[in-house]
Amino acid sequence: MLKVIDVCKRIEGHGEIKILVQNDEISLVNFEFKIYRGFENFLIGKTLLDIPKIVSRICGLCYSSQTIASCKAIEDIYNIEVSEQTILLRRIILTAELIKSHSMNLFFQTLPDLLNIFNNNKKIMTPYDLINYDPQLTKNIYELIKIGNEINTLFGGRSVHLISLIPGGVIYSPSKKNISIARKKFQNALLNLEWIIEKFIGLFSHQLPPEEFCTPNLIFLGLSNFGRYNRYSGKLSLKENNKNIIEFEKNNYSSYFGKEPDLHGIDFYFDNKKNVIVGPFSRYNIVGSYDIDEIQTYLEYFDKSWKNNILFANFIRLLEIYLECFQSLQILDDPQLNTKQKLPSLNLVKNSEGIGAIEAPRGLLIHHYDLNKSNSISRIKLFVATEFNIPLINEMITQYARELFERTGDINQVKNDVQMIIRAFDPCISCATH
Amino acid sequence: MKPRFVIISLTSCSGCISSLISLDIFPQFLERTKVIYFPFISDVKSIEDCDICLVEGSVSEENQIPILRQIRRRAKKVYAIGTCACFGGILSLSDIKMTEPISSYIEVDGIIPGCPPPLKLFGNCLIRLVENKELTLSEKNMCGSCPLRGDMKINSSINVSKITPNPEEIKLDEENSKCFLEEGILCLGPITRDGCEHICIKMGLPCEGCMGPVSKDYTSNIINYLSLINISQELKNYTGIFYRFSKPKLKR
Repeated sequence: MLKVIDVCKRIEGHGEIKILVQNDEISLVNFEFKIYRGFENFLIGKTLLDIPKIVSRICGLCYSSQTIASCKAIEDIYNIEVSEQTILLRRIILTAELIKSHSMNLFFQTLPDLLNIFNNNKKIMTPYDLINYDPQLTKNIYELIKIGNEINTLFGGRSVHLISLIPGGVIYSPSKKNISIARKKFQNALLNLEWIIEKFIGLFSHQLPPEEFCTPNLIFLGLSNFGRYNRYSGKLSLKENNKNIIEFEKNNYSSYFGKEPDLHGIDFYFDNKKNVIVGPFSRYNIVGSYDIDEIQTYLEYFDKSWKNNILFANFIRLLEIYLECFQSLQILDDPQLNTKQKLPSLNLVKNSEGIGAIEAPRGLLIHHYDLNKSNSISRIKLFVATEFNIPLINEMITQYARELFERTGDINQVKNDVQMIIRAFDPCISCATH
Repeated sequence: MKPRFVIISLTSCSGCISSLISLDIFPQFLERTKVIYFPFISDVKSIEDCDICLVEGSVSEENQIPILRQIRRRAKKVYAIGTCACFGGILSLSDIKMTEPISSYIEVDGIIPGCPPPLKLFGNCLIRLVENKELTLSEKNMCGSCPLRGDMKINSSINVSKITPNPEEIKLDEENSKCFLEEGILCLGPITRDGCEHICIKMGLPCEGCMGPVSKDYTSNIINYLSLINISQELKNYTGIFYRFSKPKLKR
């Protein structure tokens, strides 16, 4: 048996692919991580108010999602409802994170793949090829990343590992002036996005996406609020074949999936676990529509062949930025954003456990904490998006690698090409190796 | 000749690398340099000779040590980016996992601390590196220029019992005016390097020390600080306050 290992490039963190070849056939391809950091271990014994700023350090891309999921779990333990203002502020902060995360992934990690797949005449091999490919595109993407940073800094005090996010609320009460500054930034983001989306449509919509990126029949898992796109609150859904939908409260998640502390990976308590997907593609398929005419028009440029192709997730990411910038402008007009409020007192623990669920840019994120008698953490379970997607990623890369190897016999091509599938999922290895 | 850069990550959250890429000067940085190895955004697979190597993340695995040594041989200068690479970082909270700053294994030519490094500091440092200048960091602690300092003096009448305020105690609409120590909240400003523009303190939270120690004698600084103030028994029992971003070093 031959074992081929390659370090993945252009992904966030350290991942490897392991290819097993037996009797001239590929028997297995696995996407694996080599580093585990043990947050679930060293958070034991910590006090509740200390947790959110530590878990922010799980990920330098989904920092706000990690922190807010943690704050929600802690608020569950104290049994408090946060103010409407807090919810609005957190949603804006989540949007700023999403803008950065999605645009950096699209530009540096997946756009080179798309260009190499569809435009054969000009290969993108280095960051220099990329930034010079279309200077206007580079400029517009950077404008988006900059806006994400600026909104983070305005609402959170810094651009990564935000300071203002604490259990009970957000340490920020935006002045009229700052609301107006934020409004201009989101308007500017929308203008940039329109250009980028039209560019994307112009480059790819008329092309036929390669079949190897087609997904099997998927089971979409994610949060939605009465069937509408919402990354902050709502119920969890499992949706299969675009018809069978099971909805359940976050507190009942353990009827559908679970994990053992210390062991890597999520156990699903239903069939076809290799078909479960979370993330932008899943969110889109759960809600079916984004309720914005412009987005509907953009979607119509892509025909059916794209809609069950994982490469389409790249376009969905752009649309999610558009949608959330649009929603953020609505939030900035909400009078409740500007109210004067006090943050709540967090002294009396009401429940011995708490669960916080949100949608991080890469998909469902759940924090589940148990307390001991002295009200410090006794057990912690973190469910992160990339962990949910691993069985599907491995299934898709194994299938594709087998077919490609049979056709070409070229193991180097297999090594390179399966990584394009991995990158289309936008894996977050920092999160997955918490 | 454009300076040749190698940028690598060890064990980290990728926050420093993502901060680097998100700097608005990053495209210009690329134009003015030749980045020959940067797995986060590029396909190139081998590390070649370079002028400057930036390292993010701490050493948590044995197999990272030969990579670091290889880099030290290949690079004229090596800089640690962010608190994990500079001091060991947040994994210092772990009793099980090893986490070491890169300086435990190779000689380092400079550091850009912070979790993550503040964008302004990061951008300025990067420009200095491109221009082949040495990095300069503040050698002072946070208190010297702290907006809450007033006429505060650290002394034995200070009783500290908390590491973070209860949310209700945080003022939303007016700036803090009192030093955290006066409020009984432990602030690590006295033993932490200045350079972050006091962002946490301005927002109503005490310094948690992410910029790292001012001097190499971090442990003795902590002992000095602790000998000056009174800390409650509960805080004494709580682990990972002072060594949240670095492991204690007793041997040299």
